[in-house]
Amino acid sequence: MMQSQAVALEAPPGAAQPTGTDVIIETRNLSKIYRDFWGRQKVRALKALDLEVRRGEIFGLLGPNGSGKTTTIKLLLGLLFPTSGQALVFGKDASDVTKNERIGYLPEESYLYRFLNAEETLDFYGRLFDMPPEVRRQRTADLIHLVKLDWAKRRQLKEYSKGMTRRIGLAQALINDPELIVLDEPTTGLDPIGCREMKDLILELRDRGKTVLMCSHLLADVQDVCDRIAILHQGELKELGRVDSLLKIRDVTEIRASGLSDAAKEEIKSVIARHSGQLVSMDNPTSTLEELFLSIVQDSEARPGRRARVEQ
Amino acid sequence: MNRASFIRKLIYLLLILALLVPLSYFSQPATVAVGNQPNAGDHAGGKLARMRAEYGISQANLGEIDPAGETIKLATLGLRGVAANLLWEKANTAKMKEDWEGVQATLDQLAKLEPHFISVWRYQAWNVSYNIAVEFDDYHQRYFWIKEGIKYLQRGSRYNELEPRLIYDVGLFTAHKIGVADEKHQYRELFRIDDDEEFPDHNRQLRSQDRRDNWLVGQEYFEKAIALVEDRGASIHAMNPFLFFSQPAMCQIDYAIALAEDGVFEEKGRVAWTDADDRWMKFGLRDMPTSDNLIIHLAEFEAVQERKAKAIEDLDALAPDLRDKMVAEKRNKLSPEEQAALNTPLASRTEQEHQLAADASMRMLVRHDEFADRVDEAHRTKARELASEATRLEILASVIQRDRDVVNFNYWRNRCKMEKTEPALEARRLMHQAKADYDEARLAQARQKYEDAFKHWRKTIDEFPMFVDDAVGGDAIPEALAGYADVLKQLDEPFPRDFVLKDVLFAAMRRNPMALPLDYLRASFEDAPPGPEMPRGQP
Amino acid sequence: MIIENEYPPYFEWLLAAGINPGALWIWLLTVFCLLVVGLLASFIVLTARHGPAKAGDLIFKALAGVANDVVHTSPRRVYALARLAVQEAIRRRVLVGFMLFILILLFAGWFLDPGRTDPAKLYLSFVINATSYLVLFLALVLSAFSLPADLQNKTIYTIVTKPVRPAEVVLGRTLGFAAVCTGLLVVMGVLSYAFVVRTLDHTHSLTADDLAPKAPTENGTVPPNRTGTTARHRHEVKSDQIKRLAEEGQAVTETEQGHYHEITAVTRDGVTEYRLGPPLGQLKARVPVRGTLSFRDRGGKPAEKGINVGNEWMYHSYIEGGTPAAGIWRFSGVTRDHFPNGVVLEMAIRVFRSFKGVVDQPILGSITLRNPDTRVEHLLENFQAKEYAVDQHLVPLELDNLEDPQGPKIDLFGELVSSDGELEVEIRCLERAQFYGLAQPSVYLLRREGTPWVNFAKGYVAIWLQMVLVTAFGVMWSTFLNGPVALLATLGSMVGGFFVTFLQSLALNRSLGGGTFESLIRIGQQKNLTEQLEQNFTSAVAVGLDKVTRIPLFVVSRVLPNLRELNDVQYVADGYDISADLLAIHLTTGLGYFIPVLLLGFLFFKLREVAK
Repeated sequence: MMQSQAVALEAPPGAAQPTGTDVIIETRNLSKIYRDFWGRQKVRALKALDLEVRRGEIFGLLGPNGSGKTTTIKLLLGLLFPTSGQALVFGKDASDVTKNERIGYLPEESYLYRFLNAEETLDFYGRLFDMPPEVRRQRTADLIHLVKLDWAKRRQLKEYSKGMTRRIGLAQALINDPELIVLDEPTTGLDPIGCREMKDLILELRDRGKTVLMCSHLLADVQDVCDRIAILHQGELKELGRVDSLLKIRDVTEIRASGLSDAAKEEIKSVIARHSGQLVSMDNPTSTLEELFLSIVQDSEARPGRRARVEQ
Repeated sequence: MNRASFIRKLIYLLLILALLVPLSYFSQPATVAVGNQPNAGDHAGGKLARMRAEYGISQANLGEIDPAGETIKLATLGLRGVAANLLWEKANTAKMKEDWEGVQATLDQLAKLEPHFISVWRYQAWNVSYNIAVEFDDYHQRYFWIKEGIKYLQRGSRYNELEPRLIYDVGLFTAHKIGVADEKHQYRELFRIDDDEEFPDHNRQLRSQDRRDNWLVGQEYFEKAIALVEDRGASIHAMNPFLFFSQPAMCQIDYAIALAEDGVFEEKGRVAWTDADDRWMKFGLRDMPTSDNLIIHLAEFEAVQERKAKAIEDLDALAPDLRDKMVAEKRNKLSPEEQAALNTPLASRTEQEHQLAADASMRMLVRHDEFADRVDEAHRTKARELASEATRLEILASVIQRDRDVVNFNYWRNRCKMEKTEPALEARRLMHQAKADYDEARLAQARQKYEDAFKHWRKTIDEFPMFVDDAVGGDAIPEALAGYADVLKQLDEPFPRDFVLKDVLFAAMRRNPMALPLDYLRASFEDAPPGPEMPRGQP
Repeated sequence: MIIENEYPPYFEWLLAAGINPGALWIWLLTVFCLLVVGLLASFIVLTARHGPAKAGDLIFKALAGVANDVVHTSPRRVYALARLAVQEAIRRRVLVGFMLFILILLFAGWFLDPGRTDPAKLYLSFVINATSYLVLFLALVLSAFSLPADLQNKTIYTIVTKPVRPAEVVLGRTLGFAAVCTGLLVVMGVLSYAFVVRTLDHTHSLTADDLAPKAPTENGTVPPNRTGTTARHRHEVKSDQIKRLAEEGQAVTETEQGHYHEITAVTRDGVTEYRLGPPLGQLKARVPVRGTLSFRDRGGKPAEKGINVGNEWMYHSYIEGGTPAAGIWRFSGVTRDHFPNGVVLEMAIRVFRSFKGVVDQPILGSITLRNPDTRVEHLLENFQAKEYAVDQHLVPLELDNLEDPQGPKIDLFGELVSSDGELEVEIRCLERAQFYGLAQPSVYLLRREGTPWVNFAKGYVAIWLQMVLVTAFGVMWSTFLNGPVALLATLGSMVGGFFVTFLQSLALNRSLGGGTFESLIRIGQQKNLTEQLEQNFTSAVAVGLDKVTRIPLFVVSRVLPNLRELNDVQYVADGYDISADLLAIHLTTGLGYFIPVLLLGFLFFKLREVAK
C-alpha cells in the first residue's frame, strides 16, 4: 500500500474544510510582556501575534513549552490583559465577559472544586450561565451521559481519576452548549483510549458545527484532529496553515508496505531510481509534523525573528 | 506486613522512647508531702522541678497547676511581654474609667500571664486596696476592695511560695490599711465579723473571737514572711530589714493601742502590752546584719556605750594628763582666727565663726590611735589594743543609733515598758471611762475619774519622764485634758492652779493648741505657753 | 451604665441636628474626597505611562466597567458563588472554629470567677467577646485565603471564563462567608445564652439556724442573718423578711451580686424547711427614656457643666452640696401611655467627699420634679446616695402634697408633666462641701423591662456587623494580594478598626509621648511619656518623621470603621436595652463601609489579571 503523502489523517466524516468564512477569533498584533513586581520586563511571552480562527474549524496552537500558546489562550479568554494589540472573540474584546456566554473552556488541568460531585459541579457552572433550574438539570444529565460518568456522578471530584476529572472538565466546558470551545492541552494525562475518545469527541463537536481552538505540545493530537495549525516558538508565530498543506511542503515520500518479497522491494527501488529519486528509508517512519516542528525550532534558534509565511 | 514499614515504625518508637528519657529527666515532678514535710520516699523531682524549687517559683504542688494561666501563656505564643503590657495598660484605663470590675478581671488575666512578676502583684494589689478602695463612698464597699487587694496578694503568694515580700504585704495591708484608716473603727469591726472563706486564710473557724483582730492577723503574716527568710533563706530584696523584722512586734504594739481605743483594758490590755514589750525586746536582741557588714543588736546601744566609755577610761588611765596635753597642742596649732572663734561664746558667734569653730573642734579631737601612739612604750601595746577597741565600739554605737532611728526603737521600748505598768493601765482605763461619763453628761463622775486618772498618770510620768511630751502616743492624753477642762467649764469651776499634770498640760498646749480651750486655761495659768499666732485672713 | 458617646435619634444622626453635622454628609464628603484623590492619583500614574488621553480612557473604562458589572449582577450567579463559598467554608472546617467555641464554653469556668461583684456582667461580656473574637477570626481566615487559594489552584479559571462578572465573584464570596459566619453566630448565640443562664443559675441553703438571732460581738455589732454560700456569695435576710417568712411563708433575700432569691417556708411534720428559688433580676434589658442634662452652678445660674474634682476622666461632672448647684434632666415622651403606673426613676450617681464627714452616713441629696412649662415644682424625696448601684425611685401617679398633707394630692401627669410630655428632674446634693458626680446617662426613666434574650440577640447583631465588615475587607484585600498578605492586611484593618480612636489621637498629635518614632526613641532611652526629649538630631528626625506619618494616619483613621463603636456588648452586659435607633445607626454605619469596600473589591478584581 502506498500513499502519496505522509499525512496519517483519517479523513473524518464531514468536511475537513472550514464551513464558513466568518471569523470567530481574531488577534491583531497581540503581544504580552510579563513583568515582575517592580514593573521590570521579565518575559516577552507573545510577540505581535496575528491570527484568525474561523467558524467551524479545529484550530491548533502548537509549540514547545513556553512558546506562548497558553498565553494566547489566556489572552483570548480575558484571563490576561494584552500588553499591546487586541484580542477579539466573536468580535468583542476579550475582556468583555458577555463573550463567555458562547465559549466553553477546558483548562490545561481541570481546575474544578474538588469538594463538589459531578452533578453539583455542572449545576454550579450552569448557574453561572444563569440557566433556569430545569435547563440546568437537563444539561447536567445529558453531559454526564455524554462523558460517560453516570456511574460516578455522586462522587466528590477528589476521588476521581485523572481521566474522569478530564471528562468532567470537558462536560463543564460544554454546559452552555458553546459555539467556541477552547481546549488547553486536551489530552495530557490521558491514557491512549482516553486520548482517542477525547479526539473523537473534538471531531464530533466540530461536526456539530462548533469551532474548536486547542493548544497542545503533543503533535499527534494536532495532527489527528486539527484543520489548521499555528506553530509558535518563543512567543513568535512560525508557521500557520492547513495541516495537510503544511506537511505537503516536504518533498519526501515515505513508503510503507507489508508482505513484500525481496524482489518486490528491489523492484520498488528500481522504480524510484528510474524517477531519479533515492530510497531514503524503509524503516519505521517518524512523524513528519515532528520534523517540521523541530526544523522550525532549529531554524528559529538560528535566525531569531523570522516570522511565519502565512498561507491561507 | 511490609518489612520496611515495620522497621520504620520500630525506629519511630525508639526515637520516641529516646526523647522520653530527657523529658523525664527534665520534668519529673517533685513528690513532696503536703505541708512541705520531707518524707522518706520523697524525691526532689526532675531538673525543671528542682529549678522551680531553687527559684521559689513552684506552682504549688501537682494538681494545683493553674490551667487557665498555662493556657493564656500558651495562647500568647511567646508574646507574653507584649500581652502583659497591653493588659497593664488596659487595667490602667479601666481604673481611670472607674470600671472596677474591668480592673479586677484584667488583673486576674495579668496575674495568670505573669505569675512570677512580683512587682505586678505588689503594685496592683496596692492599687486595689489603696487607690480603688477610696473611690467608694460606702465604707462597706471600701472594705470590700481593701480585701480584694489583699486577696490578690494572697493569690500571688500561692504562685510564689518563696516570696516574703508578698506575704509581708498581706500583713501590711491587713494590719495598717484596716487598722490606721480614718474609718478604722468600722473596718476593724467588719474584719472581726467577716466570714469570707477566702480571706485571709487565717482559719476563721479555729480562731477565737479574741484573735480575730486585724493587727494580730497581720502579725501572723509578718511572722510567716520572717519564717520564709529565716527557715528557707528567702531574700527580702531591697526592703529595709529593720522595718521588715520589727513588724510583728510593731503589730503587737498597735494591737495594744487599738485595744485601749476600743475600751478594752485590765487583763487583756496588760497581756497585750507585756507581750508587746517582750516582742520588742526580742527584736532588739535579734542579730541584725547592717549595710556596713556588722551584726548589731538594737537593744545593746547602752551596753556598747558603756564598754566604749570603759575602754577610753582605761586608755586615759595608762597616761594621765596626756589627753589634756594633746588637746592643748592641737589648740595651739589652730590659726588665730579659729582660736578667736572658739573663744567667742556660742551665742554671739557669726556664721563664719561657727564654721571656723566647728572645723577647729574637729581638728582638736584626739583620735584614739593618736593617743595610743603617745603612751609610754611600756604600755603602748596595751594602749593600742584599747584604742582599737574604743574605735570599734564607737563605730558600732553610731551604727546602732542610726538603725534605731529607722524603727524609733527607743521610743517604743520605753512606751511598752511604760504602758504595761499598773498606773499607766489604770490611768488609761479611767480616762476612757471618764470620757464615757462625760458623753453621758455625768459630770461629777467624769471629773472624779479624770482626776484619778491624772494622779495615776503623774506616777507614770514620774517614772517615765520622756513621756511628758508624747508626740507619738496618740490623742488620748490631750483628749483627756480637753475633756477635763470641758467638764470643769461646764461645772463653772476654774481650772485648778495646782493641776497635777501641769507639765503635761503645758506640753500639750505648746504642741497642739487647737485641741484645748486655751483662753480658759490661761485664766488659771499666767505662765501658760502663748497660743499660736493665727494666720491672717482666716476666721 | 457608662455611655461615653451618646447617639442622637437615627434621623438626627443621619441628617444633622444641632452641632452634629449628620453622618450621611460626612460619609458623602469622605467618599467624594477619596474618589477625587483616587482618580487624580490613578490619572497621574497612568498619564506617566500612557499619556493623558489613554489614561482618561482607561479610568473611564474601569469605572464604567464596574458600574456595568453592578447593573448586570445576576442574583442566580451570586447565589451560586455564595453557595460555593459556603460549601468551601464548610470544607475548610469552620467546624473546628465552632468546636473551639464549645471548648471555650466548657472551660470558661477556669477563666471566670463567679465570686465577682457582678457575675452576670462578667459572663455576658465574656461569651459575647469570645464569640466575637472567634467569629471575627474565622471571617478573617475564610475571607482572606479564599480568593488567593482559588487563584493559586486556578479554579478561578473555570469561573471567570463563564459569563461571571468580577463583581459577582467578589459579592458572592463576601455573602457566602458572611452567611457561614452568620449561621455559626446564631448557633453560638443560642449556646452562649444557654450557657450564661445555666451558669448563673444557683440556689442557696437556708436553715433555721441561719435565721435565728445572732449573738452580738464584743463591740455590740450583731452579725447579719445570711444564707449559705454558693458561687462564693451569700445573701442577707433582713429581719423584716424573717418576720414575713414566719407569718406568710414567703420572703425575699437581699440583693447580692446583682440578684436575689425568693424564699419559701415549707412545714412538713412539724419541721420547717426553707427553700430558695432561682436567682432573680440577674439578666435585664431595661428600656430607658433618656433625657438631656444641664447644670446649675453654685450661684444658681445655668451652666453647661458642673465642676471637675480632679479626675483624669471627665465623664462625671460634679455639683457642690448645700448650694443651689444642681443637675437638671429634661425628659420628653413622658406620657400616660408609656408610664401607666407612675414613673420609675433610676439613677447611678457618684459621690465625692471633700472631707470624710460621718463615715457611716451616706451623702444626702434631693430629687425635685418640675413641669418645664408651668415651672410647678414638687420635691419628690430626699435620698441617700448609693454608688455603683442602680437606685430606683418611684414617682406615683398621685403625689402627696408635702406642704399641705391634708390638701389634695398632686396629679403627676396633670401638673408636673407638661402637656407635650416633658418633665424635668433636678438632682441636688444637700450636704455642704460634698459633691455628686453626674453624667447624662446617670439618671433616666425606666419605661419598661425588655426581654433579656431579645437584647442579647441585638447584641449579636453588632458582632454580626463587625463580622460582615471584616469579611468584606478580607475579600477586598484578597482580590489583589496573596493569602498571607491579605490576611495581614485584613488583620491590620481589623486591629486598626479596633484602635481607630488611638489612631486618631496619633494623627491629630494628641497622643501623650508623641507619635510612633518619638515613642520608639522614648522606649530606647527609657523615658516616660511626659519627659522632655533631648534636643538632638535623632529626636528631630523622629519628630519630623512623625509629622509626615500623621498624614497617612489621618486618612487611615478616617477611613477605617470604628469596630469598637460598633460593639454593643456593654449594653447587654449592663442590662440595658439596645435601642432601635442605636441598632439602626450601627447598621447604617456598617452599610456605609460595606458598600465602598465592596465596590473597591469589584474594581480591584476587575483590574487584575486572573492568570499568571
